[in-house]
Amino acid sequence: MPEGIFCNKRPINTEEELKALLSDTRGTKYYEEMLSLEVDREKLWATIQKTCKSRTQTWLDVCARCGLCADSCFLYLVNDCKPEQVPSYKIQSTLGEMVRRKGDVDNEFMRHAMEVAWSQCTCCNRCAMYCPHGIDMGVMMGYTRGLLYSQGFVPWELKIGAGMHRVYRAQMDVTTEDWVETCVWMEEEQQDDWPGLEIPVDKEDADIMYTCNAREPKHYPEDLAEAAILFHIAGENWTVPSEGWEQTSLSMFAGDWEACKLQVENVYAAIDRLKPKRVIGTECGHAHRATVIEGPYWAGRPDGQPPAPYIHYVQWVAEALRTGKLKIDPAKRIKQTVTYQDSCNYIRNWGLAETAREILSYLVEPGYLVEMTPNKEHNYCCGGGGGFNGIGKFRPQRNKALLTKRDQILATGAKLVIAPCHNCWDAIRDLEEEYHIHIDWSFLKPLLIKMVIVPDHLKPQEEAGDEE
Amino acid sequence: MFEKILFATTGSPGCDSAARVAFDMARQYGSKLTLFHVLGIPGKGDSNVVIDIRSGEEVDVDAEYIEGVAEELRTTYAKQLEGLSGVELEVAVGVPSREVLRIARAKDVDMIVLCGPAEGQEAGFYKRGVVGDTLRKVAKAARCPVLTVSRPSASFWGGFSNIVFATDFSKASESAFQFAKTVAQAVDGELHLFNCVDLSRFQSAIALTQDGIEAKLAEARRRLHHEYALQLGDFKRFTSEVWEGTPYVEIVKFARERQADLIVLAHHARDVDPDERPFGSTLEQVIVRASCPVVSVNRPDKLPQAAEA
Repeated sequence: MPEGIFCNKRPINTEEELKALLSDTRGTKYYEEMLSLEVDREKLWATIQKTCKSRTQTWLDVCARCGLCADSCFLYLVNDCKPEQVPSYKIQSTLGEMVRRKGDVDNEFMRHAMEVAWSQCTCCNRCAMYCPHGIDMGVMMGYTRGLLYSQGFVPWELKIGAGMHRVYRAQMDVTTEDWVETCVWMEEEQQDDWPGLEIPVDKEDADIMYTCNAREPKHYPEDLAEAAILFHIAGENWTVPSEGWEQTSLSMFAGDWEACKLQVENVYAAIDRLKPKRVIGTECGHAHRATVIEGPYWAGRPDGQPPAPYIHYVQWVAEALRTGKLKIDPAKRIKQTVTYQDSCNYIRNWGLAETAREILSYLVEPGYLVEMTPNKEHNYCCGGGGGFNGIGKFRPQRNKALLTKRDQILATGAKLVIAPCHNCWDAIRDLEEEYHIHIDWSFLKPLLIKMVIVPDHLKPQEEAGDEE
Repeated sequence: MFEKILFATTGSPGCDSAARVAFDMARQYGSKLTLFHVLGIPGKGDSNVVIDIRSGEEVDVDAEYIEGVAEELRTTYAKQLEGLSGVELEVAVGVPSREVLRIARAKDVDMIVLCGPAEGQEAGFYKRGVVGDTLRKVAKAARCPVLTVSRPSASFWGGFSNIVFATDFSKASESAFQFAKTVAQAVDGELHLFNCVDLSRFQSAIALTQDGIEAKLAEARRRLHHEYALQLGDFKRFTSEVWEGTPYVEIVKFARERQADLIVLAHHARDVDPDERPFGSTLEQVIVRASCPVVSVNRPDKLPQAAEA
């Protein structure tokens, strides 16, 4: 069978196709069909010739298989130091083979490569920090995923995820109407406690355009409300776009380059339309990578920059605390042992390790922050990055991968983990559910709202009695 | 009096008392009833798996599972559904409090009926406080009155006759009062205006003297009269009473003494952090303990109109 009904080389482009694929519970039929999915060798080789640029070819060539990357990989360490988990082996045995064999690979090879690409690498880029040649296996694995996706060898959930972006321009089925309605709803819900609070939609020339993660309007709209509250307290002139509000890109995890481009162009179109002075994204690591770090290249922007300055949420928080837009009540600072989860995507890819520490210096009473070992740029992936969190087929491998973070957290003795990245937050929640180490985890927004000094003029005019 | 009622249920026996009230109300007032169930909480990263809210197990929410749950709900409430037309059955995936608020808004309902926190629920998400959390968040944010029934003895709904309105003189309590007044007038029942001087707040170094307590009691009586009794106009079937103590205890005692069949109060606590208010507010304590349904009303948006009764 060259192509299956569900498992094929065609991307999902309509709602009907998306629903049909979703109805295949856990991708049972999808993975069955994958067993006999034919590899279009000619197309694969043509794609490699066209897209495998000099940097990747050089990296593949100069890799000395020295193995110095081995210990840098948490998956290698957590999997009993199996040679198959050495980063250079993972990439040479997949992408390296595809290139060397000029695309002449079979179904079994592709399925194996899929397993390596999505269950043995989270594209955390840590190995690049330790390679004497500066080779980044994470970047190459991202590229490999693209080749696999183009041949239909992609985990079921991520084919759905990429399809969501193609159909809704969001990782979940949140339509423009749903989104705008959520903004109105949250504005309405908060107005008793925060008189005058607004969530302005499509306001032109604002100082800030805010973008978020579709999981927020879908399941946790209070996250949007919390962002609004903090902008309100800080006195920011801000807006959200009705279209182009979704900053994440599961298509990046899937290796669907075309969907990546469509997604990021949608956000950039909002920037061009509303002309904000700058854009701030929510507490999400991969969203920042997709829209700010990689996005400009997908969109073909010659300067490698988004259409307006685009910063991560921790940058805005640090700035707001530094400039006094947000002031922390010293009495409310955290006085329990706390640790901080550095997200790969905005620490290693955007250099925000110290910015995050600056925030912590305001939020945590001196002596109560216990850093993980290692930390900052050297920190390990949460264990669920790069799409690993969402793939049912690789759940056992993902659960094992969580052990690194579990042990890092346990070694700090902290009962609270601050994790300003959706993916890390999810992984830490899952590791608590899986391993019961009795910890809490939090984004920055709720912590800030608890600790921030609210100016009197923003407080509701509450009457005397309040026996609740 | 209530055109559209939303009954949010887990489908477990803990919801039976609330179910009886919800269905009785729908019959009595000819209301359109939406039976609503949250299947599970999105879990495990960004996968399609959800955590079933009753079992705590991972499930795949596909058409078959949804139909299975819907069928179970129809079976559970088969008797109540008999002869009741126009009941809509809706299910959703998500955080329960958020989904209840979402559908209440989408359907523009006049009343939300919730189950109280049932005793002895150990399994899955109940243990982790989802139910208490749901109550707390829904009661705080809903635009319409939220009615909660937690004890079997609280499920009697033979029409109101004795309504206790408990106030802390807050702005939100004004909406609760308007609700209590409208219902009392509509059913020609009795309305008991009640305030408890909160002595639990005075556990400080400067203990309140008896004279101080009595001054506060007098002040509260004056406020009950000026802020509420005077609004009742020709409606004379009311009493006015001020006690002192811990508010939730006194409210429940007072309601029991008056054989109340409805307690009305506001829930407007700004701080909803369960860690800081362990099983917190007066409202929640009253809900758990009261022997009659408890309505929380915070806002004037969706108050019933007496004329329609």
